[in-house]
Amino acid sequence: MLQGTLDLLILQTLVLGSAHGHTIAHAIEHRSDDVLQVEHGSLYPALHRLEDRAWIASFWGTSENNRRARYYRLTAAGRKQLAEQTGRWDRLVQAVNRVLRPVEE
Amino acid sequence: MGWTRYFRRRNWDAERARELDAYLEQETADNLARGMMPEAARRTAQRKLGNITNIREEIYRMNTLEFLETLWHDLRFGLRVLGKTPGLTSVALLSLALGIGSTTAIFSVVYGVLISPYPYARPGEIWAPEIRDARNPRKSLGAYLPDAYVQVTKLPAFAEVMATNPENRLLTGNGSPENFTTVSVTSNAFQFLDVPPVLGRAIAPSDVHANGQPEPVIVLSYRAWQRLFQGSPDAIGKAIILNDVTYSVIGVMPPRFGWWTSDGGWVPALIDSRQERPLFTIARLRPGISKAVAEQQLHALHLELAKAHPARFPTNGFTTVLNNYLDITAASGEMQSSLQLLFGAVGFLLLIACANVANLQMARATARRREIALRMSVGAGRGRVLRQLLTESVALSLVGGVLGILLAVAFTRAIVMLMPEFYVPNEARISVNGYVLAFSAGISVLTGIVFGLAPALECSRLQLVETLKDATKGAGTSAAGGQPRNLLVVLEVALSVVLLMGAGLTVRGFVNLQKTDVGFQPERVLMVGLQVSPKRYATYEQRIAFTEDVLRRVRATPGAESAAMGNGGLPFGGPQSGFSIEGQPPVQAQRILVNLISADYSKTLGIPLRAGRLLSEQEVARGDAVAVINEAAAKFWTAGVSPIGRRVRLDLLDKPGNALLPAGRATPVFTVVGVLANTRNAGLRDAPDPAVFLPYTVIAPTGRMLAVRTQGSPMMLLNAVRQQVQQVDKDQPLTRPITLEEILGQQTVQPRFNMALFTFFGLQGLVLAVVGIFSVLSYAVVRRTHEIGVRMALGAERSDVLALLFRMGGKLVLTGLAAGLLGSFALARILRSEVFQVPVTDGLALLGVVTILSVAAFLACLLPARRASRLDPMIALRHE
Repeated sequence: MLQGTLDLLILQTLVLGSAHGHTIAHAIEHRSDDVLQVEHGSLYPALHRLEDRAWIASFWGTSENNRRARYYRLTAAGRKQLAEQTGRWDRLVQAVNRVLRPVEE
Repeated sequence: MGWTRYFRRRNWDAERARELDAYLEQETADNLARGMMPEAARRTAQRKLGNITNIREEIYRMNTLEFLETLWHDLRFGLRVLGKTPGLTSVALLSLALGIGSTTAIFSVVYGVLISPYPYARPGEIWAPEIRDARNPRKSLGAYLPDAYVQVTKLPAFAEVMATNPENRLLTGNGSPENFTTVSVTSNAFQFLDVPPVLGRAIAPSDVHANGQPEPVIVLSYRAWQRLFQGSPDAIGKAIILNDVTYSVIGVMPPRFGWWTSDGGWVPALIDSRQERPLFTIARLRPGISKAVAEQQLHALHLELAKAHPARFPTNGFTTVLNNYLDITAASGEMQSSLQLLFGAVGFLLLIACANVANLQMARATARRREIALRMSVGAGRGRVLRQLLTESVALSLVGGVLGILLAVAFTRAIVMLMPEFYVPNEARISVNGYVLAFSAGISVLTGIVFGLAPALECSRLQLVETLKDATKGAGTSAAGGQPRNLLVVLEVALSVVLLMGAGLTVRGFVNLQKTDVGFQPERVLMVGLQVSPKRYATYEQRIAFTEDVLRRVRATPGAESAAMGNGGLPFGGPQSGFSIEGQPPVQAQRILVNLISADYSKTLGIPLRAGRLLSEQEVARGDAVAVINEAAAKFWTAGVSPIGRRVRLDLLDKPGNALLPAGRATPVFTVVGVLANTRNAGLRDAPDPAVFLPYTVIAPTGRMLAVRTQGSPMMLLNAVRQQVQQVDKDQPLTRPITLEEILGQQTVQPRFNMALFTFFGLQGLVLAVVGIFSVLSYAVVRRTHEIGVRMALGAERSDVLALLFRMGGKLVLTGLAAGLLGSFALARILRSEVFQVPVTDGLALLGVVTILSVAAFLACLLPARRASRLDPMIALRHE
């Protein structure tokens, strides 16, 4: 997986609402139609990093099946970061596309 | 979050662990819901998550400043390792500390005394003229009479010339009368030296009138200001009375300014061509003029002057030399060579210390090859291992460095206390020199680091498997790393032999000096100076009456055995004079020491009479033209001819118009009436100079010396003597009371200083070298334990093992000893120095060095050898 994309994906997942690690991992997997295979373990250092940068915040809550779980939510700074990174991502994708598929006419 | 996370890591980690657990439970539950068996459900969940420990470590590391973290770990580990081998560690620390401490201390002294002793502007550019006697360079002249001085100042080669003339004057007025060193300087002196006063102003050219008459102003030294005016700023403008002339204080110099005195004052000099006072002259060259050109100009002037006044110049011809002021004044002669040699000696010491540290570090690291190999084989990165060893070496070196700094301060103080003041310029300030401290500390610390790392580098190049296999075999056959260590030990021993040789020679020289027969009896003799005011005692008769009165009263003092009045060095030195012997062709180059004495001189000092008779009371009272000579002077007469009754003419007393006030009927021709035994009048180390003793009444200078032989302790009589003198004149001070034994002691101060320091450094070197031998052998025993076990199992006796180790140690020591002795001989040929009064081939010194070194080396070998011989072969064989 591309460096930095995991951060972007986590932030995007949390736009829909707060979630715990397990949910985030599966959400990324499902929503990319299983193309993006995240090693679930690597998610946690990433979460820690994002929290360290204050883009996400964490709290302990109760999971769907009544277990204690650590939930993450997007902060205002995180939202802003997401917007910025998404924009940058889009531009990157367009640029890469232009290189890979020259205008076919 | 933020920085607090560095302190909440434990908490954090626990929370992460819980979070990961929560994941596993959730995933397992999901898997169960998908219909997996519980066992498989958990395993699949675990596989999905990955390595929990890795994840936790990764997060943990994010919470650390990694560099500091590992540094702290390495440091703790390193200190633990160092603490496990306290012997090796303390020896390494000691080596570092001694090396750094001694080098810094000696260089600090060398810097303060030789390199930068003066506060004066550009002291290295000050030149002092010397008229060097072609036959006898020791008897050369460095002063001009005023008329000649004026001509010297006009030479185009010189940018500026100044002159100095010191004298003692009687300070009266407030408090008790005292002798005050009053240094007359030319009015440009303070511009020339360029040191600003701390108070008031210095002497300026305007202090001398156009007719050459100086204003009665005085600049005080800092100490005199403190003493006379309690350091009050009001001193400026106050008056002090010197030789009954009132001087006005215009300024105070800083403490370090000590031009010819550090406890007196400076007055503008009267440059009067009719005066005969010697002016000690120094000059700065005009820019662009070389020393050689200046010497040529000066020599031309000297030749001219010599034509006009042949008596003032050496009769055998002369050369003109300009000496750099630093060379002739900064710690004169012997002190200078002593310091230079000591500096070389501590250089050796630093080398030994570094060799020792290198040795120990190599031994330590080689012993840890297996540990390092093991660490690397289980995945430690090479960089990580290097860093750990580096941390250890640096920690060791830094602690050693700190100890070294402490030692440097202590050593510097001790040396300053030991140093004979007389040989050191009074301007010199000695303090621990920062640059040198940094240099020697840097060198030693670097040594520690480099040699601590070397094995790690080697190890990382090494085949790990080999090392591990080798180690399990007991390293019995591996000699790797042994060769350089042996070489280092040989070097150490050789260097310490050289140091010990130096120490041995200084000790021998000192002992010889102590055994010298001085030719007189120095016990129980008190010496005091009497300096009378030239105004109060203006005539010959007044001065003689005063001294006779004092002598009579002192003789009658209870506790005084006898007393003598005289001049100059009783019993050392004194003025020298050319002379001629009646009935013999004049001997040009010879000079004779002139001593002025009273009748009881030989009785007071305890000098036996060899022939003829002594001077009688009446002859001394009248100032008759009679003389006693010493045995050395008696040799001037042709063999077989008795000098008694012969006459000798002394040029010194043939100068009209000098300030010495000769008696009305004084004549320069004296009849010899007796011969005294030789005394060491030229110093303890030199052969006696020929001397002639005249009645002190032939002339009447203002200064006299009084010697009193006492019944008890001489200093106990000082007060009684002072009372007697002040009953004659209540304003008359006594100067420099001292015992004859103390004067003799001063003669041995420099040799004692040399001996103390050379011995100290020699022993330091020895200790370090012995430690080096010990550590190499001890290490060899550990390394060869397996081999020794095999030998013993195959029938070797304990004595064979002992012999094996002694052979090993002996080879190192003998090689080092031979190299060291050769080195000493080679060095002794290069450095002919007065510090070493005995030749390097001195049998006793040589024997001493060889004995001390052998005994020390034997002890150093004994311990490891005994340990080896007591090994239990069974245990040794299993030793890994």
